[in-house]
Amino acid sequence: MKKVGLPRALLYYKFSELWITFFKVLGTEVIISPLTNKSIKENSIRIAPNEDCFSTKLYYGHVMFLKDKVDYLFIPRFGSKHKTNSGCPKFIGLSDVLKSMFPDLPEIINPYYSTAKAGHGKFHLFKLAFKIGLIFTKNPFRILHAISTAIISYKEHQKQIHLSEETLSNWENSNLILNPKLTNHKEEQPLKIALAAHSYILNDQIASLEIVKKLELLGIDIITSEQMPISIIEEQMNNLEFNLFFDFEREILGTIMYFLEQKTIDGIIHIIIFSCGPDSIAGEMAAYFSMENYPMHFLQLTFDELTGDAGLMTRLEAFVDMIRMEKRPIKAKMPVNII
Amino acid sequence: MPITYPYFGSVTNVFEIIMNELGREDIIKPKKPSKKTALYGSRYSPEFVCTPFKITLGTFIESLENGATELAFGGSQGTCRLGYYWPIQKIILKKLGYDFKFIIFDWDDPIQSLKCFKNISNGCNLLQTIRALRIGWIKHRYIDLVDKLLRYYRAIELNKGITEAVAENAYQMIVETKGMKNIRKLDKQISHLFQNEVDIQKDLNPLKVAIVGEIYVVHEPILNLNIYKILNNLGVVCNTPNTVRKQSDIGQKLNPFIKMHYKLARETAKPYLPYNCGGCAQDSIGSTILCKKEGWDGMIHLYPFTCLPEIIARNIIPQISRKIDMPVLSLVVDELTGEVGYQTRIEAFTDLLERRRNKEK
Repeated sequence: MKKVGLPRALLYYKFSELWITFFKVLGTEVIISPLTNKSIKENSIRIAPNEDCFSTKLYYGHVMFLKDKVDYLFIPRFGSKHKTNSGCPKFIGLSDVLKSMFPDLPEIINPYYSTAKAGHGKFHLFKLAFKIGLIFTKNPFRILHAISTAIISYKEHQKQIHLSEETLSNWENSNLILNPKLTNHKEEQPLKIALAAHSYILNDQIASLEIVKKLELLGIDIITSEQMPISIIEEQMNNLEFNLFFDFEREILGTIMYFLEQKTIDGIIHIIIFSCGPDSIAGEMAAYFSMENYPMHFLQLTFDELTGDAGLMTRLEAFVDMIRMEKRPIKAKMPVNII
Repeated sequence: MPITYPYFGSVTNVFEIIMNELGREDIIKPKKPSKKTALYGSRYSPEFVCTPFKITLGTFIESLENGATELAFGGSQGTCRLGYYWPIQKIILKKLGYDFKFIIFDWDDPIQSLKCFKNISNGCNLLQTIRALRIGWIKHRYIDLVDKLLRYYRAIELNKGITEAVAENAYQMIVETKGMKNIRKLDKQISHLFQNEVDIQKDLNPLKVAIVGEIYVVHEPILNLNIYKILNNLGVVCNTPNTVRKQSDIGQKLNPFIKMHYKLARETAKPYLPYNCGGCAQDSIGSTILCKKEGWDGMIHLYPFTCLPEIIARNIIPQISRKIDMPVLSLVVDELTGEVGYQTRIEAFTDLLERRRNKEK
């Protein structure tokens, strides 16, 4: 059985179900790199180009992990899936840079798909998938089955990740807690904080410096930007004067704008990756909107491979303490008896 | 309503030409960016946005202080951040308390651009607007010619400083010439001007170095730290194949008999980077191969810090350079780049090129 490697980084976190199902049904053995660990991180920093953003550097480490274990690497050149909005330009060039810098990598399957720039639609996607399928099987029905199963599986997964508007509303009104294993919380209702960041940061413990776990330890119930209902994000984006065309930035900025406007939760944390192009744009806009929608607790954190764990914990504790102190009722002062 | 535009090296003359042709007399010419411009820009910009954003923001701040109320700029829904500069700059400038309006033309949408230029003109109709833009791109070809001759003659001139004075006259001449018949004569006039006015050292065999990279850095002296002058002072002839005309010169783009350099570069880059990542990534990669074919001795690849497409190019170029035996120096610049270190690296590079050439002989 041929082996196909999927690096667990960047767009994997958006399209994992689609790709894994497709390759499995085709009859290949799918090998996914493990969650980022210390060895992958150290390897990434050593070999990746130094100006790339941290998430891209981790991608290199994952590719190197898979290098000798697979026959093919799947590194799609993802341009865009929308008629105007596109992803980061790095996604398009990634496989070419890897091929150029490390010529001894196994064969890379890197189809190009861009609705915005090349007018690719569903038919082109089907053609690309069919062409890839032919590498592994000569049976066209198997390929068709793989494509349809993958799409169904992907759509199911999307439904599970994104909350419905009703669930969101219930959470905002404190009628439900999203994280069932909240420990160490002293209040009756845990604080509610929105965490806005790229999917490949939120789901990667090393890249996010375990911020999700840290917030859980502090007794915070969080919603992430990837859980937000798409309809709400699009509504917020329509309020912008000029369309934000960085596709994966929209859910981040949309989450921030929504909660700044609604003021139904206790705080928002925005993680920015150093040298991420779209993040620098969204970061500035978020900072501006937070000043326009005062008061709403808003914390922006910039991460890179040198960010310290202790420093992050201090800032989170300070942020959470500030919110808690504001919520505590002011005790009336007893008059001092003067004899 | 005084109108202004960003400063862009010698291309600023083209903006002035277009504004003049559209009948606007209330132009506030942007000042040449200085260290102060870079300071204003970086103080108010997001931390790691690309440097052209910071410099254009600084220039706009200075122009707004000088009384401008309309800022002309380009925007698009393209791949790199450049298309999204103006919404962020608008937020920042409004926060600083300025009262102004952004005039945006979408360079990916020729019809919207045309309507935009017609609206800012002084009563031009559609045909007159097209004519004005056409004069702009034709005169741009002569601005590029002056740049090329300046960067050639300044390396081999006998009297220091004379080439720059001649070039200043030439730019003025181009801006002021009226009438298509006279404009067409500019080609010969400019060549003769340089040939007659500048005495050169004969029998020299200067090194030739091409400058390639992100378009704003390649043209704007405050960012490339006057790299053309540095090279010329070392006796090296230089030029860049990268020109803004790849977007604006509709005449040459539609002409089936002319293949502009950027088209050739993008085709040449296909084996290494088959799809456009935005910015000038494919152009930089293709230019490496083309410059070797055209006989340049070396190439300097410039790009601003955090420029996304150029980081892609920067990581592919060393492999190409080794394969085709073309010396390339990649330099990342931003508003804090030190002049002395920069100059040292360029001098070392040219020394290596000289030694290499002598060895081949």
